[in-house]
Formats: sequence, structure tokens, C-alpha cells
Amino acid sequence: MNRTSEVFDITIIGGGPVGLFTAFYAGMRQASVKVIESLPQLGGQLSALYPEKHIYDIAGFPKIGAQELVDNLIEQMNQFEPAICLGESVEVVEKEEDGVFKLTTNEAIHYTKTIIITAGNGAFQPKKMNIPGEEQFQNKNLHYFVKNVSEFKGRKVVLFGGGDSAVDWALMLEPIAEKVTLVHRRDKFRAHEHSVELLKQSNVEIVTPYAPTELVGADRIDKVVIQETKTGESIELEVDDVLVNYGFVSSLGPIKNWELEIEKNSIVVNSRMETNIEGIYAVGDICTYDGKVKLIATGFGEAPIAVSNAKVFVDPTAKLQPLHSTSVMGDKEDAPKKETVTIG
Amino acid sequence: MANFTMVDQSTCIACGVCGELAPDLFNYTDDGISYAILDNNTGVTEVSEDLIEDLEDAFDSCPTDSIKMANTPFNCKKDEAS
Repeated sequence: MNRTSEVFDITIIGGGPVGLFTAFYAGMRQASVKVIESLPQLGGQLSALYPEKHIYDIAGFPKIGAQELVDNLIEQMNQFEPAICLGESVEVVEKEEDGVFKLTTNEAIHYTKTIIITAGNGAFQPKKMNIPGEEQFQNKNLHYFVKNVSEFKGRKVVLFGGGDSAVDWALMLEPIAEKVTLVHRRDKFRAHEHSVELLKQSNVEIVTPYAPTELVGADRIDKVVIQETKTGESIELEVDDVLVNYGFVSSLGPIKNWELEIEKNSIVVNSRMETNIEGIYAVGDICTYDGKVKLIATGFGEAPIAVSNAKVFVDPTAKLQPLHSTSVMGDKEDAPKKETVTIG
Repeated sequence: MANFTMVDQSTCIACGVCGELAPDLFNYTDDGISYAILDNNTGVTEVSEDLIEDLEDAFDSCPTDSIKMANTPFNCKKDEAS
């Protein structure tokens, strides 16, 4: 078959905590693994919605910060150097004649022998402003994420939003941009008090209570029209870039069209975490079975089951029961030392 | 002003954000699904002025748009619709 990219053993759809642990475990089982995540960052709900909250029901951690858990999972996963594709949403899944799956995302085409869906509540997308001009300026100078701080150097940036993300980015961009204006539709910000205090002391221009009503420009946004929420009075702000920080929305989206058996927005799996399509597995909050409990802790438990069954599916000579990690990782960590001894 | 609220529990994903931002307005069932505290999620009790900002924060931050706000009690809306 004429394929333009590598066929991976396991492709994981969703880079939340369970997806990250699944990727680690796929590495443990010596499978080649790729992770596809819709946001430009890993961590799923934990990073997108509550990075600073504490989680108390992760085995072995009496208490751990959500982002700290994500960072640990990434470190654990990276021991096996998986392929990571950020900012890509899988739109179409097709099974080719030889059984290999072809995944079409908004950016690329991927090939894989098996799929493990760890998409939680579906793909996250940034919340939109829903005002005239918004569609037109996407991928131009309207941003929902900061990929590279330096692209705002010397520019007039208007930020919208009142949460931690908006305030933190305003503070990050303030020393780099020519001017940063933060517009929020209420006088009070819901970001951390300490961040708001720093904001007030900074050179960021705070404009409240205003909400955006229109983005104006030909090829790029030249100015934004904002309206005072109480009096209705409108003013215009000249801009080089607009950054929107309204949080995220999640939805199952195209997953519903992949001919998977779905019950109450969850994918039905059996005790092997297999879906109704051979070679596609689901674990974590997105899967359901009799007695299912939706927790990170249970998702972590389901991951090795799905990976080990996928491993046997890809290589029928492999054993379902994995070796203990003390053996696998011990050998892996010892490997470079042995090599050094041999050379020496 | 939109000062009646209820949670669409069929779309709530139990993420916990609303209870964090508006602890006087939203709590969780045993399954972690959110409900409006004031009127056991019936949407008929007016939210007091001092909690409106919390309500708007929760409304803005819900990742599945499950928090509903209205100018009139939700049961009136249903009556109007039927």
C-alpha cells in the first residue's frame, strides 16, 4: 500500500492523563506509539480546566496538583519517546484493506495498526467570541493560544477574558509587546488575587466592563469594537493582534460518526477494552461497561488492559500478561551501563 | 438581567469548575454531576444580586455549556413553550 507516513502499532487519541499513561504503557510493551491531541498542549481537562487544583485519589499520592500530575505523566511517557501530534483533531477513521487504520485529522493523515481512544469527554476547542469577523480572521491575527511569545514582540495586543489564563498571558506579554490591553466584561477578574494584583501594578491597560462586538479589517484585524456592558457605549481599539482567552468547550464531535457503539455519549467496550470495531479500544472517561466508574484512577487501570490486548492484536505471539515494570525498566536502565562496560 | 439558573445534567461532565467558581450556587450529586443548590436544579428561585458575578463566571467557564441562565424562571419558559 502506498502510504506517506509510518504505520504505528498504537495511536492514542486524546492526550489527557489517561492518554499519557496509555502512551507510557504502550512503550513498556515495546509498541511504537503516537499521541494525537486536539489542543496545542497535553494534559486534557487537568491542564485546560483546573491546573492548580489538587487531586486526592491518585494511588500513591496523598495529594498532587493537577498540572504536577500531568508533568509527571509526560516525564514518565517520554522515557519511550512517543510521537506527539498537538493541535490535531481526528475527523475520519477508515480501515484499509490490509486492516491498517487511516486517521485523517484537520492537519495530516496518520496510519496505525490499532487505536486506543482516550478522549475523555471529546475534543477540547477554545470558546469563541461569536461576533462578526471571527471566522474571517482565524489563522491571521486572531489567536486563541500563544504558541510563541516572540511573535507578539513590539505589537499592540488586545486580550479578551477575565480568568487566570487571560491575566497570566497579559502579564507574560506585557514586557514583550508594545502595548497590552486586557478587556473583560466585568470589573472583577476571576483570576487569582495575586495575579490580579500584579496586573494592576503592570503597564497592562485594563478596560472593563466591556465586551467585544465586532472585529474590523480587510485581510487582518485593524481594530476591535468593544461595548460598555451597562451603558452600551461603543469604542474602538487599534490592534496588531487579538488574543481570546474564554476557556474551552468539549464535545464528542466526529467520534459519533466512526460507527462505534455509543451509549449516553460513551463508547461501549468489553473486558478487554475493545470496542465493536476490531483493533479500536477505548479507556478512561470516554468508555463505558457494566459497573464503569469515571475516574482518572480507573482510567489508569484500564490503560494496561487496552495496551496489552492491542499488543497481542498487533503481534499474536506476544503474551497478554506483561512482565513486571521492575524487570522491564530495570533492564532498560541497565542497558547503557552494560554498553559502557563492554566498550571499556 | 439573567438571574435564574439550572444545570443541564445530560451534558454535564462533572468537571467541577462551576462549584469552584460559584460554591454558593452549584454542588454535585454522588456521581459528580452538578446541580443548582437554590432550588434543587429546578431553575425557579431567583439568584440574589451578590451572587450574579459568580453565576456569570460559572456560566462562562462551563466546558460543555451545561449551565443555563434565563431572565425568567425555567418552569415559566416550559409553560410558555407548551
